[in-house]
Amino acid sequence: MRGRPLLYTSYQGDQALMNTTPKKILLGLFLLLLVTIPFQLIPSISFMGENDWLKLLSLAAIYAIGALGLNILTGLAGQVSLGHAFFMGLGAYTAAWLGAPPGPLAGLGLPMWIWLPAAGIVASLVGLAVGPTAVRVRGLYLAFVTLGLVFIGEYVWRNWTWLTGGTQSGREFPEFELRIWKEEEPLIDFSSDGSWFGIELTGEAKTYFLMLALLVAFVLFAKNIQRTRVGRAFQSIRDRDIAAEIMGVNEVKYKLQAFAISSFFAGVSGALLASFVGRTIPERWNLFLSVLFIAIVLIGGAGVVTGTLLGASFVILLPRIVEDVTEWLTEYVVEGTGIFVWLADLVVVSGPDDWGIINISQGFGPGLSVALFNQVIYGLLIIGFLIFEPLGLYGIWLRIRNYWKGWPFTY
Amino acid sequence: MRIKSKWLGILLTMGLVLAACSPSSGDETTTTEGEATATTEGSTDTTEGSTDTTEGSTEIATDVGVDLEAGTIDIGLLSDLSGGFAGLVTPIVTGHEVYWESVNADGGIEGLTVNLNIQDTGYVVDNHVQKYEEMKDSVVALGHSTGSPHTVAINDQLQEDGILAIPLTWYSGWTDPALNANLLHHGSSYCVEAQNVIQWLTEQMEDISTIGIVSVGGDYGLDSAAGAVLAAEGLGLEVVVDLAGGISDEASILAAADQIAEASPDLVWMTLIPSITSALFGQALANGYQGIWAGAGPSFSPAFVAPDSPIKDAVTASMYFGFYLEGWTGTSAGTEAAKELLLGAGRDIAPFDYYLEGVLEAEMMHQILQAAYDAGDMTQAGVLKAAKAFEDMGFDGLGPNESFVGDPNAQLQRETWVMKPDPDGLVAGTSGGAAIAEAAYVGSLVEAFDFTGACYVLGS
Repeated sequence: MRGRPLLYTSYQGDQALMNTTPKKILLGLFLLLLVTIPFQLIPSISFMGENDWLKLLSLAAIYAIGALGLNILTGLAGQVSLGHAFFMGLGAYTAAWLGAPPGPLAGLGLPMWIWLPAAGIVASLVGLAVGPTAVRVRGLYLAFVTLGLVFIGEYVWRNWTWLTGGTQSGREFPEFELRIWKEEEPLIDFSSDGSWFGIELTGEAKTYFLMLALLVAFVLFAKNIQRTRVGRAFQSIRDRDIAAEIMGVNEVKYKLQAFAISSFFAGVSGALLASFVGRTIPERWNLFLSVLFIAIVLIGGAGVVTGTLLGASFVILLPRIVEDVTEWLTEYVVEGTGIFVWLADLVVVSGPDDWGIINISQGFGPGLSVALFNQVIYGLLIIGFLIFEPLGLYGIWLRIRNYWKGWPFTY
Repeated sequence: MRIKSKWLGILLTMGLVLAACSPSSGDETTTTEGEATATTEGSTDTTEGSTDTTEGSTEIATDVGVDLEAGTIDIGLLSDLSGGFAGLVTPIVTGHEVYWESVNADGGIEGLTVNLNIQDTGYVVDNHVQKYEEMKDSVVALGHSTGSPHTVAINDQLQEDGILAIPLTWYSGWTDPALNANLLHHGSSYCVEAQNVIQWLTEQMEDISTIGIVSVGGDYGLDSAAGAVLAAEGLGLEVVVDLAGGISDEASILAAADQIAEASPDLVWMTLIPSITSALFGQALANGYQGIWAGAGPSFSPAFVAPDSPIKDAVTASMYFGFYLEGWTGTSAGTEAAKELLLGAGRDIAPFDYYLEGVLEAEMMHQILQAAYDAGDMTQAGVLKAAKAFEDMGFDGLGPNESFVGDPNAQLQRETWVMKPDPDGLVAGTSGGAAIAEAAYVGSLVEAFDFTGACYVLGS
């Protein structure tokens, strides 16, 4: 009986995080791959070990943590929220208040083991306070309530200059350094070059490892929520709230919990994002950021942890990939010959008199800039996924997996 | 799931529409990532120490961004090509491109071709930091870094990496030694500009005794507003409307227009973006305000005086603003040469003052690179050292001469150009919509101004 993928002989087996051996092995290998990226051991992906790519990967991990939170609220519990950016800002400024060194702006200089969890906790408490509105309204109306949060937040952030530095000026955020208390030398410094266990690492690599570790912790957290009584209650509310209540699921309690948990993720993600960038302006925590998170959840596949991870990587890395490909295409068009050059030339603008879709040179010729082209791609992708693949990238992965599961008898 | 996805889709669409419409999101584009226009991403040359040039006469040290064998120099530009200031920064970038195309066509810098690595930050600090990280191991210096908080965000890293950057903002803090170890400020700051323009106006018009100050937030608005307050104190003007940092959305514009009409100051000092300037100006005019308007350079747009503009005549009659270089109506040798270069570049270039800013920045970099070459050190540190040794950098009148040596007061740029709208010049193609009212003006206030720190401290 062992090894049959869909046959479970015990409840534990059915609920296991990794229900098959191949899954365990593959996940282990994938994690190993992620850990080795900074050491550039595998030639075909060694470019990812460069500092700029490590930064992008760290950024993707930070966005993934935030998106996991939204996924719990929207994907799992079915409560649509546009307020994610507000909770991220809340986390960021909590971190700044507690963790930034004392100066003209708010800052207590407390260590990271205090400010990082506190960022999540404060956001979570506010989420708890907002939660009751979710009990009163649902769907579009809830979206509008949470939308209000973003605007209130933006107003507060812009005007509370002692905390945020004020509009278009911004402030510094604490660095990734682990201290026991306020001692001079940090115990572990995650942002400067140095050696760990005798291995020389750049600051970027260290930050990457920190983000990876945090992401793994949050993924486990999210996965486990899904498997518990709480997670099942969330899903029952999502699928039909009245039916859930009739079955004895306490709607008020679980909606509040969903908001609190989701805000915790958002708070931590916001604190990480602000500290990662180093300096951020109050306008950063705007509606666009919330929309970006909804896009991540949607493109990845709502309600699925793996999908959220795929979505975050996709949304963060896509612009860079488009940029690199465009650059390569332009060089190819300028230097190369042959039939494919003609095709590539239709896509990129290589000179003042050339027509094309993407133009990497400003000031002359037609075409969209790479940044605008990226936005068009996002738009098309969202429409495309909604119509053709509501399960998102995860749905595509499922189909690929199922194809190979039955291979060569797939039909 | 399908139903939820549909809801999400509707919301997302609405969200996108709202994000596009919300006033604050105009200058924030989170997902935009940039462009690269480098003709060749040449510099893999990381050899320390000296290498012979192709000419074989001088020994030149190089590390990053200069490849003597390939004959290339790579310069980075962190530009806003898709955010709130794209309208001004895009022509500046074009100025850089045209300038270096011409230098390269004439043999480059001692035979070395200069390539630009242009990256779009979308005026988002995160992107700025990321793009800096991407380019710092391939460029010898940054030809410009757009935005004050953005430049401050990379400033520590610039100092750690020993890389030079020319800030594309006129924030008064750039003169502060605590900030500018790796920065090369140029042009008079917003703070100095405000003092100069206000003083010039009080000299021209004797009946100015009250002033209203309106500005957006951030370094731009508040630095300039701080300068206006200094001017008011120095000239004995009464501040009857004080909305420093108070202009952000439609409601605040309407309220400001009411206040201006009610208090009716003799002069309004505004530090805004063009869309707000025109709205506020039109509304105050409708409310019956008849006074003089003056503002920081970026508050003005040639669109105000375009033939079909409804506020053309009123703007022409009552508006002045400051600028940091001579502008399109200048007649100095430097400006004439720059105009000739731009118009002869085979691009679709209509007169606009900000093209000249691009040429000026590129000229600064040209002089620095030449000096670094002459000193035999074209490493990132060598270029920084060469830049910080200029005691009198001149541009043949295109912009004011700059000094980067000595105490802050010696480095402080005090010259401001006072500009006047010029609808006829715009139609005739002889100006970018504005003409010089007073060239290189230094008022007595600014003459005596003692720099002890930024007029407005970022993040304070």
